[in-house]
Amino acid sequence: MGKFPKVLQCLLKDQVITETQVWVPLLASDEMLGSVHTQEYLSNFITGKTDEKEQRRTGFTWSSGLVQRCRYETGGTVLAAQVALQRGLACSTAGGTHHAFPSYGSGFCLLNDLAVAAKHLLTESRIKRRILIVDLDVHQGDGTAFIFKDEPDVFTFSMHCGKNFPLRKQCSDLDVSLDDGMEDKEYLSTLQAHLPWLLDVFRPDLVLYDAGVDPHWEDELGRLRLTDQGLFERDQYVLKSVVKKGIPVATVIGGGYSRDVDRLALRHSIVHRAAAKVWKEYVT
Amino acid sequence: MDVSSDEADDWFMESLHMYKDLHVFQLEHPTKVIEWTSEKSVCVAGYSSPKNEILELLLPLKLYAGDKQGLCPERDFKVQHGGFCDEPVECLRHIFGKRCVVTSGHNSSKLQVWDLGEDDSDVIKRTGVINLERTSAEGRKIASGLTEDPSVLHGCQINDVQLIELASGKVLYAVGTDSLDAVSGLQFVNANEFVICANNGTLYVGDTRHPRIEQYALQASVTRSRWSFGLKTNLPQSDLASCTVSRLSSCGQVLLSDFRKMSSPVGEAQLNLQHSFPSSDFMTVTWAPALDNFLSVSGLDGTVLVFDTTRWTTDLKNPEPIFVHRGHHFSCEAKTDGTPLVVTTHVWHPWRPRTLLSAASDGSIHVWDWYKHIVCLAFFCSWVFIKNLKKKRRRSTCTLH
Repeated sequence: MGKFPKVLQCLLKDQVITETQVWVPLLASDEMLGSVHTQEYLSNFITGKTDEKEQRRTGFTWSSGLVQRCRYETGGTVLAAQVALQRGLACSTAGGTHHAFPSYGSGFCLLNDLAVAAKHLLTESRIKRRILIVDLDVHQGDGTAFIFKDEPDVFTFSMHCGKNFPLRKQCSDLDVSLDDGMEDKEYLSTLQAHLPWLLDVFRPDLVLYDAGVDPHWEDELGRLRLTDQGLFERDQYVLKSVVKKGIPVATVIGGGYSRDVDRLALRHSIVHRAAAKVWKEYVT
Repeated sequence: MDVSSDEADDWFMESLHMYKDLHVFQLEHPTKVIEWTSEKSVCVAGYSSPKNEILELLLPLKLYAGDKQGLCPERDFKVQHGGFCDEPVECLRHIFGKRCVVTSGHNSSKLQVWDLGEDDSDVIKRTGVINLERTSAEGRKIASGLTEDPSVLHGCQINDVQLIELASGKVLYAVGTDSLDAVSGLQFVNANEFVICANNGTLYVGDTRHPRIEQYALQASVTRSRWSFGLKTNLPQSDLASCTVSRLSSCGQVLLSDFRKMSSPVGEAQLNLQHSFPSSDFMTVTWAPALDNFLSVSGLDGTVLVFDTTRWTTDLKNPEPIFVHRGHHFSCEAKTDGTPLVVTTHVWHPWRPRTLLSAASDGSIHVWDWYKHIVCLAFFCSWVFIKNLKKKRRRSTCTLH
């Protein structure tokens, strides 16, 4: 998938970050993945035994390179979460594979990185943690919602376009379903109506933020009409709201679909640019 | 056909690999006509209520953006011109070389002539009515003449087929036969020669320079079915001998014939179809203008089937389609009356090889371009639902669990 390295390239080229700020993840371990995914699925996935129907549902043809990429992607989200806990704010240049369920992949998602990261942080710490997953990808985070439906220490919040994939929705802890064609102003005001009270009531120790850019009006699979500026204001609002309360936040790039990969990568880098701005204003 | 959410989601994922482009539009009322008015626009019209819209729709500009698709945000059908017809529209034809269409209605004894309008107006206006002697219960079929002076060939039975000059309403030609066969379709091959297909599958070939008409009947065993036809020509000036004709029956049989030898078909096939829709009102069989030997069929269920007829023989076999468009099943609004979904019509793009438009009984209209080789690759295709012409009041629903 061409967009991931391009996201990093454009951030370095535009001097949003320097090389010293770039951390490289490890492969997510079998044990880490096993806290979310079933052993049978992991075994089939890692060894290439998923059948044709399963592969069609995910949108990918299996390859060993694909497995590596997914494991690094998940490792990247785990690393971002860990760094966020240390430093306050961290951003992955991938991640947001929220359609992956414990026993199957779906919608270009094979391993649920947000779920793996959340589970890892819940279990590795002696201190009880509460984690809020804010998923603003234009598609509902159905896999994540399913995984944490009975987990009181993880709150899943998904704001998405109601008529998008998946048609079969799961129940997040909070679902906000938007109508087609929503634009910047109304989108932001809808978000502003929910996020502040959520942070006050749930009081998370960490926020995992899926900053999918598929609400953008040019996105080929989305049905909303946000602009670049709208995405930036959204990301800035989420990050400021969380950071101002002293809550660490880790971001992932989420979904985005366009044939122009350069343009798409630039769009995905909006959250990193917003993070850099918030970092300068509120953390340093 | 009831479609589960899981099936729809699975099809959505598959569609990303199957289609190069797929754009969906929802009309207020379904259409059974799609007629090209230019290379980027089509005319559609309602058939299901007393007062029906006639719309000229501009296809999504993203379809024509080529390599620059990523920079082209315009993926909606746009209504360029619109008007209202006082009867359900059964047949609509664009008049060759003009900004004008002619319609016929259900249970009607007239043809209506419409001006599509230019850039200075968005209204489709009725500019003329041609009153006819006979009322047609099923709707009169129409074909545009190919001469410089606008004319239409029309008829509901073979014996009343006429060529009429649009400007004056004058009858320029009448078929010289007393056959009472109902007309299923008619089309000009060149400025003078035309082909008519009767409901029973009989083909009639005529020439406006003389009233004599040649007749090619099917075997009696197949005439119980209802037939429609598609003609492969090189418009506007074809030689009849170079044309191939396909005929589709209501029981799913397809016959391919060559006018050089009409005594027997050159190919035939029996399609495997679930006859979920009892009526044969919507049967459509068409040849691809830009792909040799490619044929498409719709109207017997909710799909459009595309076949490569290169290897078809005269042994009646069940060929596998090279592509099946099932999108109308998965884009349709929830049905409350239990009526099965059916594709009401489809057309090929005049020059883009694998681009088709199709419409269905739920009001959906799709334009789609499928991949030549269907493989499981991580391509992102343009797949957009645009639901409804009217702007809805923006609202969000919030569910807290």
